[in-house]
Amino acid sequence: MGPVAPQKAAWASKEQEGKTVSRTSQESVRGRLERSNALRANIKRVYIYVFLVLIVAIFSVAKLGQVEMFGRGHFLSPNSIVNLLRSAVPIMTLAGAFTLLMISGYIDLSVGSAMSLAAVVFALMIRSGASLPASIAGVLVMGIALGAINGFLVMKLRITPVIATLVTLNLYKGIALLIVPDGLSAIKGTAEAPMPAWINDYARKDVLLGLPWAFYVALLVIAALVILQRKTIIGKYAAAIGGNRTAAELSGISAVKMVWILYAAVGAFAALAGISRASYMSLGDPLSGDNMELDCIIAVLLGGTAFSGGEGSVAKTIVGALIIMCVTTGLMTVIPAYWQTVAKASVLLIAVILNHLLVRVKA
Amino acid sequence: MRTNQASGAALPQMSNESFLTLFMVGVLAVIFAIACLVVPNFFQARNVLNIVTNNWFIIILGIGVTFLLITGNFDMSVGGVIALTGVLSVWFCQGANVSQNVLANGLGLPYILAVGLALLCAVGIGAINAFFIARLKVPSIIITLGTMMLARGIAQIITHGAQRNTSLPDEFGLVGTAALPGTNIKISVLVMVVLVLLAFVFEKMTVSGRRIYLIGANSEASRLSGVKVGRHLASLYMLSALLAGITGILLASEYKAGVSNRATGYEFDALVIALLGGVSIAGGFGSVLGMFVGAIILSVVTSAATGLLLSPDWQFTIKGVVTFLAILAQRFALDRRK
Repeated sequence: MGPVAPQKAAWASKEQEGKTVSRTSQESVRGRLERSNALRANIKRVYIYVFLVLIVAIFSVAKLGQVEMFGRGHFLSPNSIVNLLRSAVPIMTLAGAFTLLMISGYIDLSVGSAMSLAAVVFALMIRSGASLPASIAGVLVMGIALGAINGFLVMKLRITPVIATLVTLNLYKGIALLIVPDGLSAIKGTAEAPMPAWINDYARKDVLLGLPWAFYVALLVIAALVILQRKTIIGKYAAAIGGNRTAAELSGISAVKMVWILYAAVGAFAALAGISRASYMSLGDPLSGDNMELDCIIAVLLGGTAFSGGEGSVAKTIVGALIIMCVTTGLMTVIPAYWQTVAKASVLLIAVILNHLLVRVKA
Repeated sequence: MRTNQASGAALPQMSNESFLTLFMVGVLAVIFAIACLVVPNFFQARNVLNIVTNNWFIIILGIGVTFLLITGNFDMSVGGVIALTGVLSVWFCQGANVSQNVLANGLGLPYILAVGLALLCAVGIGAINAFFIARLKVPSIIITLGTMMLARGIAQIITHGAQRNTSLPDEFGLVGTAALPGTNIKISVLVMVVLVLLAFVFEKMTVSGRRIYLIGANSEASRLSGVKVGRHLASLYMLSALLAGITGILLASEYKAGVSNRATGYEFDALVIALLGGVSIAGGFGSVLGMFVGAIILSVVTSAATGLLLSPDWQFTIKGVVTFLAILAQRFALDRRK
């Protein structure tokens, strides 16, 4: 736990005690506090699942007057579930690594731009004749480089993470816009240089249960990161750095190396997310990753990761990501599209309040 | 600051802040000279005037952003607030029940009232920022990105994702387009100059202004010495939102339209000019004057790029590279000085 924890506890107990000084009342206060802490810890453990079930339930009954349960057009019809999961692939790919970075107390606001740049470069490589594996490998290497640049700026040049990655956000987006020729909005197939149809193979073609390769790759990434966080030393290192960087370094963890690797990993997964977006859309849109950083932040906060790092869970972030996707796709069937932004902002503010109320309690 | 006190009155030495501002003025002079040599028709009275006046909206935003940055906080919501107040002022002002078209009908309020209410809503967004950041201690970057979406989202709802520009009274377009008598300098530029001067006086000569630096240098120490940190931060956030609101009103009046995607990315520009002017997020360091110099540097660089016929897509890349160079150059200059 960070240095905030004891301070917060002191503040809480002061408020609870009020002006009472007698020992008996202090003891009863302590008992009450412990009980309320236990309650909050329990709520904290399950609230995100309850939240997800609640949202799915709301959207399932929302249009029951017009569509049949599980029928065509219903929120839980097989078709719409497949669609939801397909469009959730980029954030599922990216949010896990993003969580690890935030647990270690750092942030990367450039993920959306790295994703856009990856989508543009991927589409360009496929169109100019590179094979699918070669293009994926090339773009992944680029993603690692983009992430490593962030890591260099933050850890070596010691520029504040928010500022460094905000500037690279604009830098990467600028490069993506420069690659796309003037007057065009995206890299897409033309008469002289057609886009091969198999660009879809990765993120649209049905391999199993109606879902494409990209989805199973995302599942694999999530599984790997959950195991990495729970069962290996890496997860503990990340939490240690986020909790107290000086203490972590004194106990022999190389924070610079560790966080640098995490930035590179976030860059790589942002590139993978960009690849699946480009493959799904069959084009490289330089704005396709816009606002991805906000989606990631919302997912991470919903998942109960502390703002300042030190604790959090990859698995819960993924549930948070599913909540966002349910809200955005579900709302589209109920209210006009121009309500989307406010809906997302409200989810963010709700996530912040829930996070404030529930995090910082020892589970 | 420290060097100033240590050397005493006998040998007055420049503060780090003034040193850095002067350093950036030097950088500005060099960049300007290069631009004059390389870019055709750059050194002309009209162009130089444009460089100073064209960015009035970013400079107004920069005032609030600079103060907050000095305290160690971000305000990314300013772009959204501009869109919101612009759209609201139009909506309040549009005639009521004048057309079949939903986007042509407003509330039919008088202009002054419409502006007042729109500014009130802007301050409301600032108050949301203030509540979460000063009271709940949530990192400012997360909350202000959220309120950026909230403000822009409300603007999108009111305009159905597009814009409102019909059935407006004539006086709506007056403030934004009118020029000072005898010149072609817009009233908006005058507003910018007045606000910068006021901000300069506030920053250098008032107790609250100096406390901003104390909070930025060490928030805990200033709390212990009796400064109400939360209240200060809250008023700074509301001030920043109010300045963004004023900008939004002026821009809406200039274009006679409330556009929901107006001012996208302005929050980044405001941050960039503050950083170019030497404001440090590490806290307690920077000045409005420096921000002004930073704004002119950015303006010279972008207008030189346009003069060299680079496509507008270069803007993002140029801004990014220039910001990194400025941050590193400033750190180098300060290190050498010690």
